[in-house]
Amino acid sequence: MRQSAIRSGVLPNPPPLAGAKREETARPGNSDHGAVEIPTYYDLPALKQSFYGWKVSTYILIAGIAGSSQILAAVAEFTDAQANQNVIRNARYIALGGSVVGAALLIIDLHTPTRFYNMLRIFRPTSPMSIGSYVLTSFGALSALLAAAQLRRDLGGGPSGFDTLARAAQIPAAVTGAAMSTYTGALLAATSTPLWAAMPKLLPASFGASAMASAAAALSLLTAGGSEQERLHRVELIASAVELLLVAMLPGKLRDKGIKTRIGVAPVLVAGAAPLLHQIAEAVERPRSNRADDLAAQTRRAVRFGKASAVAVLAGAFLLRHLVLRAGNESAKRPRDHFRFSRPR
Amino acid sequence: MPANPVHPRALDYASSFLPGVIPQEAELTAGVIIEPGRRYGFFTDTTLCIGCKACEVACKEWNLLPADDLKLRGHSYDNTGDLGAMTWRHVHFIEHIDNKAGGRVTEMAPFQSNWLMMSDVCKHCSPAPCLEACPTGALFRTEFDTVVVQQDICNGCAYCQPACPFGVVEVGREDGKAHKCTLCYDRLKGGLEPACAKSCPTDSIQFGELSDLHERAHRRVALLHEQGVTTAYLYGVPDAPRETPGHGEGLRELNAFFLLTAPPETYNLPRAPSRPANRTGPGLATGLGMMAALAAAAIGLFAAGKNGRG
Repeated sequence: MRQSAIRSGVLPNPPPLAGAKREETARPGNSDHGAVEIPTYYDLPALKQSFYGWKVSTYILIAGIAGSSQILAAVAEFTDAQANQNVIRNARYIALGGSVVGAALLIIDLHTPTRFYNMLRIFRPTSPMSIGSYVLTSFGALSALLAAAQLRRDLGGGPSGFDTLARAAQIPAAVTGAAMSTYTGALLAATSTPLWAAMPKLLPASFGASAMASAAAALSLLTAGGSEQERLHRVELIASAVELLLVAMLPGKLRDKGIKTRIGVAPVLVAGAAPLLHQIAEAVERPRSNRADDLAAQTRRAVRFGKASAVAVLAGAFLLRHLVLRAGNESAKRPRDHFRFSRPR
Repeated sequence: MPANPVHPRALDYASSFLPGVIPQEAELTAGVIIEPGRRYGFFTDTTLCIGCKACEVACKEWNLLPADDLKLRGHSYDNTGDLGAMTWRHVHFIEHIDNKAGGRVTEMAPFQSNWLMMSDVCKHCSPAPCLEACPTGALFRTEFDTVVVQQDICNGCAYCQPACPFGVVEVGREDGKAHKCTLCYDRLKGGLEPACAKSCPTDSIQFGELSDLHERAHRRVALLHEQGVTTAYLYGVPDAPRETPGHGEGLRELNAFFLLTAPPETYNLPRAPSRPANRTGPGLATGLGMMAALAAAAIGLFAAGKNGRG
């Protein structure tokens, strides 16, 4: 048949120009029913997905809690150090603990962990991972200094030169702590994974708000109660509200950029709404009674609600990171997500 | 006993015994002199590819890479699947068997319109997203303008892996380090052209200086258009067609570029991939801005509670 066509000198119309959209017939393995215009190579992935799993999502959570704790410590210290002693103490210890555990998680996650120190071999400003390595190192060092000063104070030491030096480190610790809370979002966005690359601003912003909320939640769990816990609950509420707003915007953003992979943000929204429910519950409880034993019971209930709300915020924060990570890896396996995202603009 | 014992038949070809290595073998085999400081790359002309996979074999042999699974995947003659840590050349096979109405094709345009075969490789992009992502400096730009992973520095953080817009570089599970095509860096240093280009029987894979390759490629496209292959276009050159350039926002060009005759997605290539590092700055700035706003709110909330409640 082929030979006869060539011998007879008949040439069929050439296929349409490379750039033109053409109808793609349904082929086996064509799983994406919505986009008939984009061909694929046997539906095989066009990208490599990252190897990042629970260790990385846990690190992002811990880094956020540690980083935002130092921000809260700075806020507490410079508004009223005397009244916020518990917040400052807990924040400084959490920050150091988080840096150490976080660094350990990252080192274990490397595929050649014995060469972890090569992360500080160069500084590459185009790479959020390079920037983050230096952020983690400096944040860890500053947190160690602050924790040492705090320990000295807790063991009964009075004001001294070391104490003043340490207090001066609080602001740089807060600044690097801000970076700790959000650079991981920029890290994910600065890849070719379509779902992450579609949200270069939304992802770091939502991670940051979630970090502030989880830091306030973690600190409130460690604070016994009273005005300090009140203030932490208020911060938790505001930060959670911002986080909810941003997370609710994620599906729309993905749709705009042509990403069909879904994140499944419902559990995050539910968990993040916990502080709001806590506030509503408190408001409902308050005018009920003025009797002493009723007040005691109400206080106990309020404390329990507060703790439950804080745990929910932490769970929601972990879910946000883990679901975003998993969804991103899914989107890397879908060629059409990448092809739609990589269209010329 | 002669000093150099040689089989009698080999003496028929005595001129094959050279006193030493040819200093610039690439001049003989590819017509290019390899010097540090110039830009080298690949021009892969898919209209010449016959799907023999000599490039895959030569690459594996030269770089001592393990063989792929020999099972058939059911995707025509493609048995590699994709590029990866241990596969640095991968030949695509696409058969246009039906004529869209469910029948067999009985007439064909010239130059393999019903068989698409392409040897895929690392694009050695300018700028290279993998290089820009690497925090250890293992990935670097060589004196031949190619991109290479230094195996003694890489610690397997695997950040280059999702960064690559073509899904090329991968961290090997076997040894925990990132691997990809080196454009035969070791051969280039010795004046030899890359193994795949040397072994390609039809010169579908052409190695040379980028400016020469661009010239050659444009001439080839013009010739193909004259001969009736109006779908031929270049993918990855600076002046590529606007609809299917092979490089998007921030990515200037691909040192290993292609001549294609179908939409890029058919070959598993994105139309206009963007440079991931363009998102680093805006991402960090937005994040820090958010933290500043929340810190200000926290100051407000803490200061408000200060008066009145001890």
